[in-house]
Amino acid sequence: MLLLDYQNALIQSLLTERFSGATPVSIDQVVSDFDGVTFHLSTPESKTKILISINVKCYKELVQYGAQEVLEREYGPYIVSPEPGYDFSVQIDLENLPAEEEARNDLIMKLALLKRNAMAAPFERAFDEFNKLAEEASRYTSESAPQGIKEGGEVMAIHYREEEAIYIKANWDRVTVIFSTVFREETDRIFGKVFLQEFVDARRRVLTLQNAPQVLFRNDPPLELAGVPGLSATEGEVSYVTFVLFPRHLTPQRRYENISHIQTFRDYFHYHIKASKAYIHTRMRKRTADFLQVLNRARPENEERERKTASGRTFRVQA
Amino acid sequence: MASQTPAVVMDNGTGYSKLGFAGNDSPSFVFPTAIATKAGAGSAGSSGGRPPVANKPSFLGAGGGSSNLAAKRGTEDLDFFIGDEALAAGSGPGYGVNYPIRHGQIENWDHMERFWSNSIFKYLRVEPEDHYFLLTEPPLNPPENRENTAEIMFESFNCAGLYIAVQAVLALAASWTSSKVTDRSLTGTVIDSGDGVTHVIPVAEGYVIGSSIKSIPIAGRDITYFVQSLLRDRGEPDSSLKTAEKVKEEYCYVSPDIVKEFARYDREPDRFLKHTVTAPNGRSINIDIGYERFLAPEIFFNPEIYSSDFLTPLPNVVDGVIQSSPIDVRRGLYKNIVLSGGSTLYKDFGRRLQRDIRHLVDARIRASEARSGGARSGGLDVAVVTHKRQRHGPWFGGSLLGQTPEFRSYCHTKAEYDEIGPSIVRRFALLGGPGSS
Repeated sequence: MLLLDYQNALIQSLLTERFSGATPVSIDQVVSDFDGVTFHLSTPESKTKILISINVKCYKELVQYGAQEVLEREYGPYIVSPEPGYDFSVQIDLENLPAEEEARNDLIMKLALLKRNAMAAPFERAFDEFNKLAEEASRYTSESAPQGIKEGGEVMAIHYREEEAIYIKANWDRVTVIFSTVFREETDRIFGKVFLQEFVDARRRVLTLQNAPQVLFRNDPPLELAGVPGLSATEGEVSYVTFVLFPRHLTPQRRYENISHIQTFRDYFHYHIKASKAYIHTRMRKRTADFLQVLNRARPENEERERKTASGRTFRVQA
Repeated sequence: MASQTPAVVMDNGTGYSKLGFAGNDSPSFVFPTAIATKAGAGSAGSSGGRPPVANKPSFLGAGGGSSNLAAKRGTEDLDFFIGDEALAAGSGPGYGVNYPIRHGQIENWDHMERFWSNSIFKYLRVEPEDHYFLLTEPPLNPPENRENTAEIMFESFNCAGLYIAVQAVLALAASWTSSKVTDRSLTGTVIDSGDGVTHVIPVAEGYVIGSSIKSIPIAGRDITYFVQSLLRDRGEPDSSLKTAEKVKEEYCYVSPDIVKEFARYDREPDRFLKHTVTAPNGRSINIDIGYERFLAPEIFFNPEIYSSDFLTPLPNVVDGVIQSSPIDVRRGLYKNIVLSGGSTLYKDFGRRLQRDIRHLVDARIRASEARSGGARSGGLDVAVVTHKRQRHGPWFGGSLLGQTPEFRSYCHTKAEYDEIGPSIVRRFALLGGPGSS
C-alpha cells in the first residue's frame, strides 16, 4: 500500500453490506478518522434509516471557506439537521435507494468520502479564485498589473490539528499549499527530514516527475505566510512543506484527484515514516538473528565445566 | 486532542482479528489474522534470506531517469495485504499467505508489525499518536512478548498510550452486560472456545490462575468436521466443509438428553429439516438435516462420539479446573462461569453445562456429607453466564473498559515508556478491578 485511501473503509464496508439487502439491524458506532475527525453512524429512528454524522475539528473554518456549499452540492437530498455534538449529518433511507447497482455504489463512495468533501472546500475556493485571478491577470502585463492581482488572494488557514495547519493561497499563476508539521519525537523528525528531502530531490532529478508540483521544505515560515497570525516563531519546532500547484494541476479534469491527494499528504507522510521504521526494524531483527547465529557457532563444543567433588565442593585454580 | 479520541481496541486472535473503537457494541472490522507478502520478500521474516536491501534511488548515483521508479526505490516492504484481501491475493500467483499468530501468541514480529501498520492506517484510519490502544494477549503470554509488542507500539507507531489486557479477563468484563450478573467481579471461570482450541481459564480478582488452565482439543473446527462426516455417512449430495459449517451455525443446538432427543425426532418428523445449498454454478441442492442438529455440539459433553484420544467431557474439565484452583476462590469460580467465543453460541449450551456441572458438584457434596457422618453442607452455587456479546467477548470487554473515564490512567504512556523502557509493560494496574467504578 503506497497511497492511503481517501474514503473511510468502515463507512464503505458497512454501507455496502446494508445496501446489498441484508436484514436491517440497528447500528450505533463511533468511528475515528485521521486528523481527529469523528463519525457517528446510527439508526436513531428506525432500522432502515442510517444517520451519518461527522465532527471535524476545524469545521468553523471550513464553513467560512464554503464547506456548506460543497457539502450541499454533494449530498443535497440527504442532508438533515446536524446531530447534537456533530457538525454535519446525512441520513439515508434504505427503503429509498437508487435502483441501479452503479448509482448505489456511487452513493456509498460519496458517503465514504464525507471527510474528503468537507475538507475540500477551501481547496475548491482557492482553485476558483485562481481561475478568476488568472483571467484578470491575462489582461495586464506583469508590470502594469494592479496591486490586488499581483499579490493574489488572501491566505486561508485551516487548523485541522491542534498544532498543525494547512495554508492555501491563490495567485494568478499558481496556488500555494503549505503544511506546517510538528514532530514530537526526535526519531520521527529525522525520518521526516530525510523523507521530505527525498520529495524535494526526486522532483528535481527524475525526468518523469518534472510535471509534479514543486515541493519546498524549510524550517521557518515561508514568505507567503508573512503576516499570518498564530505562527510560532521558534526555529526548528515546526517545519513547513510547500506545494506549488501550477495551472497544469488545476485543470478541471485534475482538480478532483489533486484535492484528494493533497489532503492525505500529512497522513501519507506519517504513514510512510512509520512504515520506514517497520522496515528498519525488520532488518534489525534479521541482523540480530544473524549475529546470534554467529555467537552460537563460536561457542566451544566441550566447554570447561566447573568440577565438583561428591560433597559439592569445588577446587579453585590457583592463579 | 488526545483527550477526546476514543481508544482503539484490537484483539488479535489466532484466526481472526477484531478491530474497533472503545464504546461501540461491536468491532468495526473482523478479518482473518493473515498477511500476504510477495513470495520473495515474504520469506524474509522468520526464515530464508536477509530482507532485500532498499536500493539507493538510481538518480542519486549515476542519474538517468527510470520509468519504473517504485521498483528502484525498494518499496517491496509495502507490497502486502492483510485480512480478507490477503486470502484473496494468496490464492493468486506471486503472494504467499502467512499467519503471524500461532496458538494465540505472536510468532512473526515482522509480519505482525506490518499487519498492525496496515490495520491502523488502512482500516481504522487513525493517527496512532492521537489514540490510546488496548491490545489483548492470551493467558500465559511470556512477558517478553509484551515487551516486543510495546516496542512496536511505542517506537514504530508512537501511540499515545497502551494497555495490554488478558483475553480471559476481558471476557469476564464482557459478561457484566448480562442481566444475571449483579456484582461486577473479576473472579470467574472463562470457557473460551474458538475455532482451534477450547480453553478453560480460572480468573481470581482479575488475575489468571495459570497453573490451573486446561485446554481441550475440541472446538469449532472439530464440530464442523463432525457434521461433515455425518453428512457423508448419510450420502448427502453436498457435504463440503462450507456446507457443514453453515449447517453447524444455523441449525445446531444442545439437547438436554440425547437418548430422549432421538426418540423425540422419531415422534415428530417435522424436526428433520431441509437445507438448500446454492452451488457455484447456480444449481441449488437440497440436503436433509437430522440428528446432527443436536449431535454436533454434543461432542463437548460426550467426546467419545467424535474423538478417541480425548474423552473427558467439558463439564468434568471445568470441575477439575476449579477443584485444582486455590480453595478460597472456588466458590467464586463456580458462581461465575462465563462463556466466550463462537463455539459457545449454541442454544442451551450454557444451560446444559450448568446442569452437568451442578450434578458433579452435588454428587461430591453428598459423598462428603455421607463420609463426615451427619454434617450438612450449605450447598454450592453453580451458574453459567450466557450473554449477547459472547461471540466477540474479549473485544467487547475491551470496548467496555476502554471507554471508562479512568482507562487512560491505567495505560502506560509514551512518556513513561521513554523514561523506563519496554519493561514497563510487564505490569499493568488491573483495569476494572477493585477501586475503579
